[in-house]
Amino acid sequence: MMRLLFIAGLLFAGTGYAQQPDLAKQRETFQKVCGGCHTPESAVTTRRSRDQWQEEIGRMVANGAKGTEEEFGIVLEYLTSQFGRTGRTGFMPQGMLGEAGAKDKHVVDADAADRGRKVWASECIDCHGTAARGTDKGSNLVRSDMMWSDRYGDRLGAFLKKGHKMQSGGTSASLTAAQVNDLDHFIHERLYETLRGSPIFHPQDVLTGNAKDGAAYFNGAGKCAGCHSPTGDLKGIASKYDAPTLQGRFLNPRPMGGRGRGGRGGASRAPQVTLTVTPPSGPSITGTPLALDDFNVAIRDAQGEYHTWKRTPDLKVVTNNPYAAHDQLLTEYTDKNMHDLVAYLETLK
Amino acid sequence: MRALALVFLSAALFAQDGLNPAKLMQPPTDTWPVYHGDYSGRRYSTLDKINTGNVKHMTLAWVYPTRGVQGGLKATPLEINGVLYYTAPDHAWAIDARSGHELWHFAWQSKGGIHIGNRGPAVYGNWLYFLTPDCNIVSLNIKDGKERWHKTNCDLDQFYYGSVAPVVIRNHVIAGVSGDDLDRPGYISSYDPENGALQWRWYVVPQKKGDPGAETWPNEDAMKHGGGMTWQVPTYDPELNLLYVTTGNPQPVIAHKNREGDNLYTGSIVALNPDTGKMVWHFQASPHDTHDWDATQVPVLFEGEVEGKPRKLLGLAARNGYFFVLDRATGKNIVTSQYVPTNWAKGVAKNGTPIPDPAKMPQIDGALVTPNQGGATNWPPPTFNPKTGLFYVPASRAYSVYYIFDTDDNPQGWGGTDRGGANLGSSIEAIDYKTGKARWSHKWESGGRSGLMSTAGNLLFCGDGANNFVALNATTGEPLWHANLGTAVSNGPMTYELDGTQYVVVAAGDSIWAFAML
Repeated sequence: MMRLLFIAGLLFAGTGYAQQPDLAKQRETFQKVCGGCHTPESAVTTRRSRDQWQEEIGRMVANGAKGTEEEFGIVLEYLTSQFGRTGRTGFMPQGMLGEAGAKDKHVVDADAADRGRKVWASECIDCHGTAARGTDKGSNLVRSDMMWSDRYGDRLGAFLKKGHKMQSGGTSASLTAAQVNDLDHFIHERLYETLRGSPIFHPQDVLTGNAKDGAAYFNGAGKCAGCHSPTGDLKGIASKYDAPTLQGRFLNPRPMGGRGRGGRGGASRAPQVTLTVTPPSGPSITGTPLALDDFNVAIRDAQGEYHTWKRTPDLKVVTNNPYAAHDQLLTEYTDKNMHDLVAYLETLK
Repeated sequence: MRALALVFLSAALFAQDGLNPAKLMQPPTDTWPVYHGDYSGRRYSTLDKINTGNVKHMTLAWVYPTRGVQGGLKATPLEINGVLYYTAPDHAWAIDARSGHELWHFAWQSKGGIHIGNRGPAVYGNWLYFLTPDCNIVSLNIKDGKERWHKTNCDLDQFYYGSVAPVVIRNHVIAGVSGDDLDRPGYISSYDPENGALQWRWYVVPQKKGDPGAETWPNEDAMKHGGGMTWQVPTYDPELNLLYVTTGNPQPVIAHKNREGDNLYTGSIVALNPDTGKMVWHFQASPHDTHDWDATQVPVLFEGEVEGKPRKLLGLAARNGYFFVLDRATGKNIVTSQYVPTNWAKGVAKNGTPIPDPAKMPQIDGALVTPNQGGATNWPPPTFNPKTGLFYVPASRAYSVYYIFDTDDNPQGWGGTDRGGANLGSSIEAIDYKTGKARWSHKWESGGRSGLMSTAGNLLFCGDGANNFVALNATTGEPLWHANLGTAVSNGPMTYELDGTQYVVVAAGDSIWAFAML
């Protein structure tokens, strides 16, 4: 609770900071607050966002750093303005997946990672591999506990400082703080690219089928030609969707059913599932389902009227599913059928 | 420094008593002392005040709104001496089981971790235990919700997290781990209920060459990082003194080039000695899983008859679409069947395990597979009713395309996933354990999947996809009663009797709902 109060105070101090002391005063405060435990320089070997500096100050407070709320506010402003991260942020999982790990986990600075790639290529790649997954000569850093617990080089930097033989023949202790920082971001980028949603997380090549066999299936066993035509509704379909999306679309053409990249429009014109309800006294009414369970059914008809019934044995409810043939095909396709169909549809530019 | 929110203490608090250990060995009637109601995992109650003849009169008794928590309400409450104990990610509550009044609320200040859900607490005497997303096991005093201690159950930096309900066996608080983003080993641990000291830890995957199961991995690096999270609450047979643990998928999850072999003991049911953590037997439900199916469904214990002889049995409806019945003393397979049609196995081996078809493992250009990653079933618990002899499971039939994205010879993490396809329907399957075939199937009109509970009143309680809490006739599957809660049932229902009134409790949305015959 005390820490929460502190953070709240820090936010207040930061946002209400109208009369900014000069840089010298800020640095003096920084040295006073932080210099009691370590050299201030050792804390600023990496650039961080305001939130990350705020989190770091919170950690220091938890570790016993002393200062007033105003002083901590000044330190935050100083670190953010002088050692802030203004570059591009690298990939981070989003949503629930983004919660994995600690809240204060390393955030990749993409520009630093790009610079780090050069250090990696010249000093590390021979032993640890292109993707940092290791070789016979060096360990897999993606499976390194140290790297996953590293924050902005605090552990990697300490390790490299001890002296680690590099491929150029030199020792890692000779790397500058900036090089360690860049290298650290590059390695974290390699770590994070193994996570779900990363830039490498997409189908590679789905065009492995035989277009001729796909056409034969389309016109034959698949019975696709009964509803679709390459010169009609499917004309130019391959220009509209990329191949993975095409694959998803014919497996499940419902709006949002076929996932992948590319494509546009279509959802509003998509065929709708409807219900036809026939009460014992008649007549039948067809409409868009609003509710359907074992107990009740409700629809909205084409005129926009709402209808609802309690389900009884003599109330007839029929589902009109325009996707039924596609659903049935899911149970019949071989993988060859699926790949051949993609190859065939890809010819419909 | 941990934030502690103690809302208020009522006079009823002083009547709060601890859990009498004898209740753990009795059918759940006035007490629901563990996640599944009792150690068996049957989620069956002998209560029959509410039954097929009168359930249509069951009505709302109370609602407890949690006012919204991250991860929703997936836990099954415990009920002890008239008080419900409940958890969600970073939260624990004590609630009057008769009225829904809150006795206390504890909030944990989180340092991170995936807040996908929390399955519930465990209670030992006067102490409550639950896991937090940021890898802690926390012990509270059940009388006032004050923290007694907390200990680390896993390493947050390695992307582990806590979601499963612990289970108490005598003086062991046994807790699993969650998390399959990184290639890290799964394990299950036993802690001293008094001080949280680690008593034993069993790793699902071998940690060095020569360990049992090591022969099913290509090398030490692969096995040490081979996954197998313990997402499910174990069950326990006091007579055999065996703890039944189901284990998660191997790592890397989808791209599997660097983990050739069966990958023991992932995707398995294992029987452990709860005093030592030593494995007694295993049965692998998904050898070399490549579809994120794992086997972390409930290993349900029941007494049955096989070829005219009484047997101690274990049933598992696995996420991969197969239903298994084992002799729970030995782990020997008795029944293997498909409870929904699947297409990923070439057949069944002599020992009862499905044989994966390599063509249906994830491919670079995609493989059309059923079940999909969500599984033929998932974590929501099934139920077994000894009066009907039926094993009820919430089931889905869905297809998707499994892709390998990471084509490296040494893939890491997931390296692929499934996409697209369609769900062809969800249902309750009532499986005859003797044959493995469904005696009845009730298909939901609008999908849906929830936990289940059955009772001696011949009722099966469940949730449908239209936000209804539903009671089915357990013998026939006929729908008998429902209440639309406005949002889907999100946990496994439970029941208890107090003052002659039987209550049925379920979670949906951000609230806990109690129904009764008032």
